[in-house]
Formats: sequence, C-alpha cells, structure tokens
Amino acid sequence: MGIILTVTSGKGGVGKSTTTANVATALAQEGKKVVAVDFDIGLRNLDMILGLENRIVYDVVNVMEGDCNLSQALIADKKTPGLFFLPASQTKDKNILEKEKVRKLLETLKGQFDFVLIDSPAGIESGFEHAIFLADMALVVSTPDVSAVRDADRVIGIMDAKSEKAINGEEIEKLLIVNRVKPGMVERGDMLSIEDVLQILAIKLIGVVPDDEKVISSTNTGQPVVHDMTSKSGEAYRRIAKRILGEDVEYLDLSEKNGFLSKIKGLFK
Amino acid sequence: MSLMDIFFGKKQASANIAKDRLTVMLAAERGSNALPQMEEMKREILEVIKKYTKVKEITIKSENNQNIEMLEVEIVLDR
Repeated sequence: MGIILTVTSGKGGVGKSTTTANVATALAQEGKKVVAVDFDIGLRNLDMILGLENRIVYDVVNVMEGDCNLSQALIADKKTPGLFFLPASQTKDKNILEKEKVRKLLETLKGQFDFVLIDSPAGIESGFEHAIFLADMALVVSTPDVSAVRDADRVIGIMDAKSEKAINGEEIEKLLIVNRVKPGMVERGDMLSIEDVLQILAIKLIGVVPDDEKVISSTNTGQPVVHDMTSKSGEAYRRIAKRILGEDVEYLDLSEKNGFLSKIKGLFK
Repeated sequence: MSLMDIFFGKKQASANIAKDRLTVMLAAERGSNALPQMEEMKREILEVIKKYTKVKEITIKSENNQNIEMLEVEIVLDR
C-alpha cells in the first residue's frame, strides 16, 4: 500500500507545484513508483512544470466521473521511469470534487503506487480540504516571510482538526520545507532563519531549498530542476526525497561563497 | 553591541521583528481556533459565578504555543 503525501502551504506562490514536481521526480529517480496528482481544479499548473502539458487527454475529474479509465488518464513521464502524472481538470466549477469519489480514486492510486503526491490548491477551501483529508503525510511548504509562515500555521491547525486521521484520533505526519531561503539575508538578520521558522511552526523539518534562478529556467523548459545535477535547489530536492525514504542525509551547505559562515548551520544561529 | 552600533544606532534586524510579530499573532490566532465558543462559555461561567458572588468583571484568555494550551480565567469581585 502506498503513501499519500500532500504538498500544501495555505499561501499561494510559495512553490507548492514546484515542490510537488521535484519531490515526485526525485522519488522516482530513487526507484519508487510515483504519481503526482494536481488537485488545483480549474487552475492547472503542474503539467507545465513537469513538461507534460501536451500529452493531456483526460484529467482527474474525468477519472472520478467515470468518463475514462485511470490508465487512460495517467501520463507516464518519459524522462523519469516510474513517474506518472494525473492532471487537474480545467472545469470552472472548482467545487466539483466529491468526498467519496476522491476516496475511491486515491485508494486505487495507493494500491498501484509507492507514493501518491497531491499538489493541493492554495487557500483553505474545499479543494484544499479534499487534498488533505486522506493524507498520510504532508509536506508543508513555506517561504521565510511572515505571510507564508502565518498561513502555514493555519494549514497545520486545519490538518490537525479536519483530516480523516485527526477524526480517528491520529495525526498526519507534517514535514516542513523552507523554500527560497536567501542565506546572505539570513546572515544579515534580514530574513527569518530556519530555526526561527521551526520554532514558530513546531513541526519536523525535512528540507531547506535555497532561492535559485535555475528553478525559474527549469520551469520555463518544463524540466524540473532535480534533473540539473549542478543546481543547489535540485540537490536540496534530491535530499528531501532521500529523507522521505528514511535516509539520514546531511543538510546542504548553503553559505554564499563570500560568506563568513561556512555551513548551513549559520542559518540556525 | 559593538562601539560602531552605539555610535551609529544600529537598527534592529528585521528578522527579529518578523519573528516577534508572528509569535504574538499566532498565539492569538491559535487560541481563537481552539475555542470557537469562547463567548458562550464566558457567559455561562459568568452566570454561575454570579449566583454565588458579586462579579464585577470576568476575562478569559487562552494561550497556546503548541506545547501547552492554557486557559486563564480572571474574576474580579465587586466589594
């Protein structure tokens, strides 16, 4: 039985879809069978980040409504063996998802894949609730700024109250990714440090991704940055995948070349 | 604080300000999430206390920092 891993943040634009695409790709590179599901109904995005936008025939709503088989809608990523993608629907009605249909789909996917990554929509409306309801684990993405951290806190609280696990007295395992960290600014005291964010949100850290222009150029070309073996952000995502698989991996050295603090430990001051 | 900071009046690093503002904000927000029926509870407690004493004022504060959840009830009696 696979694991449902929901990527969420509350605030939009902090890098949820980028995180989903890269963690999914990195898990597949580790030999896992992975499906990335875009739950952002009405506003699909993940397809372009994965570079699969031209191969969409059916979407997640078609599968749930029985317009097609699951296998007809799943898109295999030719660049990464083991990685599959299920696109969001472009329907205008974002409230189209129904709890029981979502459950049936996700349970089927769990039976076929090691990891089911759900790219949750921003906000805390019904689409978000469907995305977290059946989650086993959640990757909470936040950037080190007040609005993203505040919204992440809200989302953590909602997961602890409204998920199926919460209703059954269990807890979704919540793992924090701090995205777009600028080590120079942290060193100058002008950006919340990783330790600050961890103290405030009080969940387990699973990754720190530096602010990296390569994320933008890789999105431009539809090749997730994990494919770029020279990029720091790509390396950060590869390490996140390893940690999800239970490996104890060191944190990246994010210090800037002219920085006086040579280890990421500087971020924990 | 270095001598330079004393002379030039170093401004407080903005990250610390962000952290303080967030901590205060979230303590309040987490509290209000945990007890959606705070007003109702306040009214009921007030009624019970009124039965036995002369209450002047009652304030209930909830605090939550994810490790500990606390409800602080302050009852001021009328003399």
